[in-house]
Amino acid sequence: MSKSYNWSEIARNPKYLELKRKKRVFLFGWWIVASIYYFSLPLLSGYFPALFKVKLIGVINFGYLFILSQFLVAIFVAMYYTKIANRDFDRLTDELVREIQ
Amino acid sequence: MFTNIISALMLALFLVTPGFAEEPAKQSPQAGTVAQSTAPALQAPAAVPGQSAAAAPAATAPVLAGGMPTKVRPNRAITISMFMTIIGITLCVVIWAARQTKSASDFYTAGGGITGLQNGWAIAGDYMSAASFLGMSGLISLYGIDGFMYAVGPMFSFIAILLVIAEPCRNAGKFTLGDILSFRTAPKPVRAVAALSTVTVSLFYLIAQMVGAGKLMQVLLDIPYRVSVIGVGILMVGYVVFGGMKATTWVQIIKAGLLMSGTVLLAFLVMAKAGMNPVGFFTDIVGNQLIQDHVRMNVLKDALPKAGFDYGQRFMEPGLFLKNPLDQVSLGIAWALGAAGLPHILMRFFTVPSAKEARKSIVIALFINSSFFFLINIIGFGAALYLSPQLISSVDKGGNMATLLLAQLLGGGAGSLGGDMFLAFICAVAFATILAVVSGLVLAASAAIAHDVYVNIVMDGKADQHTQVKVARITSLFVGLAAIVMGLAAEKENVVALVALAFAVAASGNFPAVMLSLFWKRFNTAGVISALLVGTISALGLVVISPVMTYPQKIADDAKKIVSTLEKKQLEGAVLADKDLKLLEKSRGDYSKNNGQTSMVGLTAPIFPLKNPGIVSVPLGLIAAILGTLLFRDRRAEEMFDEIEVRQITGLGISKASDH
Repeated sequence: MSKSYNWSEIARNPKYLELKRKKRVFLFGWWIVASIYYFSLPLLSGYFPALFKVKLIGVINFGYLFILSQFLVAIFVAMYYTKIANRDFDRLTDELVREIQ
Repeated sequence: MFTNIISALMLALFLVTPGFAEEPAKQSPQAGTVAQSTAPALQAPAAVPGQSAAAAPAATAPVLAGGMPTKVRPNRAITISMFMTIIGITLCVVIWAARQTKSASDFYTAGGGITGLQNGWAIAGDYMSAASFLGMSGLISLYGIDGFMYAVGPMFSFIAILLVIAEPCRNAGKFTLGDILSFRTAPKPVRAVAALSTVTVSLFYLIAQMVGAGKLMQVLLDIPYRVSVIGVGILMVGYVVFGGMKATTWVQIIKAGLLMSGTVLLAFLVMAKAGMNPVGFFTDIVGNQLIQDHVRMNVLKDALPKAGFDYGQRFMEPGLFLKNPLDQVSLGIAWALGAAGLPHILMRFFTVPSAKEARKSIVIALFINSSFFFLINIIGFGAALYLSPQLISSVDKGGNMATLLLAQLLGGGAGSLGGDMFLAFICAVAFATILAVVSGLVLAASAAIAHDVYVNIVMDGKADQHTQVKVARITSLFVGLAAIVMGLAAEKENVVALVALAFAVAASGNFPAVMLSLFWKRFNTAGVISALLVGTISALGLVVISPVMTYPQKIADDAKKIVSTLEKKQLEGAVLADKDLKLLEKSRGDYSKNNGQTSMVGLTAPIFPLKNPGIVSVPLGLIAAILGTLLFRDRRAEEMFDEIEVRQITGLGISKASDH
């Protein structure tokens, strides 16, 4: 390793603490939200099959569209995270790293 | 040495299984023709595919309908030349990669020189296995929307990977799972347990893939099972031993590109045939007489139509295949957490230079896989509409040949040049898929043995680059050979259980261990070891008493039912058709062979009701991790938490290709 850092000192840096808090809230928050949406698929289809049978567009029913929506939600979470990470997390990280080095 | 012990254990495990290995072989001596499976009519046909789709051509193991004349007949000359082209291209990649593989980092992580875009395609490729390509579309073609529901799991698994696994692991890790877990714990015991877990998970998965590959090639190329397993095995060993991660990644990228092209073309042709009108397409499906008959007679088993019941619309409603919601939740847990704990997936995050590129690669993989699974849904429904479920299940009970038959039809039909070409192309893509996936698994298992066990435990981390690469290559050779031997030994085994097992172990052991290492200050050596051991043992224990195992007594009971029904008919004076006579003969055989026999662990019926153990084994693994940690407090691990946390959040001190 080219350089050794004082890890516990960095761990007390206010900028670091801000980054850590922001990341933790965002990442675990969205993970939980996405998981709730995901697990609602087997639960709803298993315990409320009548809901899945409701026809919405011609013969295409709620169930089919709900499955498609799972794809869209996953893509949305990924895109939104990328946006926030590029804008906030990467910037804060760069600032912190510059301050330390 | 280590490899030998493991392979001996695994072999013993398979050989103990009574009776099964030998007898079916005698029944159908013509390898490569129909009816390899013992009792296709009696095993729930759909217990096979889709189980864990990304993972399992194991699951695609073609269970062909006994005695049916229909089968996929690829044009041999065209198919073999396409196979040769793919082998040729990949071997060029291997030669190119081998020249650049000099250090351990080159071998395990391609020197960290893979870009986010390339890695995204490679990860997507890991998910697009023969099982998802062939098995999932088949499942949709036979069971409608339930098959499509399976596709959500693999796609959702990217969310945990993206948010909490990929970037932290890239920042804190180097080559293997052991590197992350041993960061602030007692390195030797933790690396040993991590290596054991990696080898177990990878080998389970690998054997399932090898058996699936053997059976698939047997059907597609009309070659004996042994030849196809050995052939796939030799190529796989060649890719890994000479080309390391660079070759493995590029083979995966090439295959993912080919697979996506084939999928896009196939889905496009389906939609073109449907006049580019999705609503009309589904209206046709619901109104299709053959699909209605299939749902009524084969799935719901209504001999006479229920008045006013729309059997076509039923195809668009859940519950035809997935019956137990708890099992679905359990499978969902295995996907949501297990994929993130699979060593060959974890390893891919180390091939990119930074956390930012790791993030990019997951987002790209998510895009590719979402499109892929969406297209597979069009292909699956298209196969149901244009081929009919009856035809698909007559060629293969589990529907695994649906994609291939559809390619042949849309290319211009059997015997036409277009049909033959498209079918051969899709077969060759399936072959490339298997090669790419097995290579990644061999690499992950070898890295655990060579890097964790040899370099860091035996040599105390003191081995020069030359030795490290040499050891890694020798280990890969042995892992590959072990996989071939086990693949051959497991020909007649029920390998679906192995895939469920790999995911369950990864979700119950590896995932909590990795998460807590990164995010919990007090987590320590005792915590890691108890998570891995309890996670692995509970998953293993639950799977061997679950319904995915083979229960001979159940086969015997089902056979007895058929025998008594048919004998009753005979007594009543009815003359049995040839087909029924054959079935009677076969059922009598099945009965006498299986009656009184028990499953691998001596059970006549499953004790654990679910096919997927995740819903129980994941909490057990997590509780073990927490209890182990709290019982054996470790100050050093707590003090070192700052370091791993700062590293994983900021990427400071990241292990780069240049840091030799």
